[in-house]
Amino acid sequence: MLKTIFESLFTMKFLLSIVRLSTPILLASIAAFISSSTGIVNIAIESIMTFSALAGILGSYITQNAYLGCLIGMLVGILTALLIAFFSMKMGADAIFVGIALNTFADSLAIFFLYQIAGEKGTSASLMTPVLPAVEIPGISSIPILGQIVSGQYLLTYLCWIILIVLYILVYKTPLGMRMRACGLNADAAKTAGINVQRLQVLSLILSGFFASLGGMYLSLNYLKIFSKGMVAGQGWMGIAANGIANGNYGALLISSLIFAAFRAVSIVFNTSTIFPTDLVGTIPYFAVFVFVTAASIINYYRIKHGKVEEQ
Amino acid sequence: MPDTKKEREARNMLSITNSKVFDTIKILISICIAFIITFVILCLISEDPVNALVTILTGPFRKTRYLGSIIESFIAYAFAGLAAGILFKSGAFNLGAEGIFIISGVSVAAVACNPITTNPFLHSALCILAGALTGGILMIIPSFLKAKFGTNEMVVSLMLNSIYSGISMFIIRNYLLTTTTNTVGSKDYLETAKIGYLYEPLRISACLILLIVCTVVLYIIMYKTKLGYQIRLAGSNPKFSEYSGINSFKLALITSAIAGVLAGMGAACQLLTQTSFYQPDKSLTGIGFSGMLLSMLGRNNPIGIVISAFLIKYLEQGTQVLYFVDRAVPSEIVAIVEGIVILLISSQYFLRGFREKKLLQEGLKKDA
Repeated sequence: MLKTIFESLFTMKFLLSIVRLSTPILLASIAAFISSSTGIVNIAIESIMTFSALAGILGSYITQNAYLGCLIGMLVGILTALLIAFFSMKMGADAIFVGIALNTFADSLAIFFLYQIAGEKGTSASLMTPVLPAVEIPGISSIPILGQIVSGQYLLTYLCWIILIVLYILVYKTPLGMRMRACGLNADAAKTAGINVQRLQVLSLILSGFFASLGGMYLSLNYLKIFSKGMVAGQGWMGIAANGIANGNYGALLISSLIFAAFRAVSIVFNTSTIFPTDLVGTIPYFAVFVFVTAASIINYYRIKHGKVEEQ
Repeated sequence: MPDTKKEREARNMLSITNSKVFDTIKILISICIAFIITFVILCLISEDPVNALVTILTGPFRKTRYLGSIIESFIAYAFAGLAAGILFKSGAFNLGAEGIFIISGVSVAAVACNPITTNPFLHSALCILAGALTGGILMIIPSFLKAKFGTNEMVVSLMLNSIYSGISMFIIRNYLLTTTTNTVGSKDYLETAKIGYLYEPLRISACLILLIVCTVVLYIIMYKTKLGYQIRLAGSNPKFSEYSGINSFKLALITSAIAGVLAGMGAACQLLTQTSFYQPDKSLTGIGFSGMLLSMLGRNNPIGIVISAFLIKYLEQGTQVLYFVDRAVPSEIVAIVEGIVILLISSQYFLRGFREKKLLQEGLKKDA
């Protein structure tokens, strides 16, 4: 029994499930990355994902067009990010408290709107919703292993991959990206150098909302094909955790997101057997994040203590 | 004014926007704006919006039973708010109250299901103690990691929430599982563990007294003792408090332990008055998170938190009364009121221009 489980960890199916599970975490992690690169702490990623997941489904139901639904979801994500920008920059509220508030009543608010349209409080299963397709890339799909990974993924997964590349170029290779990172490193110095810090911070929040909205809609419009209460299940926070571990390093960001996705996949594989208690298996991904985040901070602590890196 | 003289001076010197009158006006205006927006939403979704708003506001007074249900159910939320309040006040973003509620519930249920003693008072007290101890010990974990290694306590505490709820389900399923129903829940509590009513019609129980005592004690600790002053100082200016010789590591542990104890007691109160057996995925979910919102509503002041817990439960009861009449309005509408009020009162610049104009006018009058 144990043998078959461990064998299933080294199959193609398992690798594919990591790819499928990694998309929302990757999107959440770059959402956290881009906002923290200009020095803004956006902890509302979880709630933006929830709002956009719902807005995508409801928009797609109302317009009967998945692409229009996707557009509406993006708008909702960006508007939520702008709400954070408005309250933290124009109204002088603490961005962290705005985020905590948004995260806490995100579920209630989502259920309120779901109830208005679907008449149900749990899921959108009763709504006939067009969803975004999976895409077969002709030519590549016939290559063994690589073809299976690269072809046949959901549309938003491809969008995610493109964004990962574009974002890297934007942040590390363009003047705009340099300016954004300058704001994050030292806002006062950036201001002295003639950079409009606030404008860049708003821009980074908008991008953050956009990425998080895609992550949310991947869950609703692609992966599960419905909206259900609590479906984001901490994936926004996994993105924030990955960003915390990476500490500004883009490669480490992607790797830690993939590791978290792998632990989600492991927990799903373990859940199919009866020898492990399902309640504890369900906590594996969260436990992994807990261990990684704690370990990263302990390592960092000793490096500072021994003078290998300077304290920020 | 409950503050010390020194602090009052420091506050007057540092900021002029911090007047109590201005704060009260700001809160009242925020509430008015929230209700105006709610009314607009009601106009969109309900056929009789005026009646709907009136029902939300006055519904709970229609029956003593409704008031009793508010008094009974707001206690756990108030405890959660107090726990979040002391953490936020000390500058800690420990969001672990949700998980602490759920895992403390396991300890409470374990004590409540076992015939430890036949004395009802002692048994209930032991249940509350079990919850408080579990909460106090487990709440320290994220704060310890933060204070010692600088770990991101928000992420860690949220992950612990999910881990604790998994562990709670595991313990209940394997060691305390009920044999009478099919749900994942504990055995029924023994009669000696349950907390009865002191005044039946309004459902006033010993838990209410416990809450009042805790609130008063917490208020005294926060505003009348050295410890409270240190906590507030660490929250408002961590660097300054560190340089003035306060041991921030020890302070973080004490603060989180107090918060955990409060959360554990809240879990015990909720379980022993409202339920007859414990379901980890139902009985206590959402209370810890609501506590954070209540803490923001009450501006981290213990008395403010308890009042806002009562008011929010009042509104929820009002929407439930409305739900009997008008199925179009779900009780989640309270979240909208709550959200708007929280966002507005945590905005420092909201109405600031208005206040500055007033100050300027007064200043000019004095000169003339």
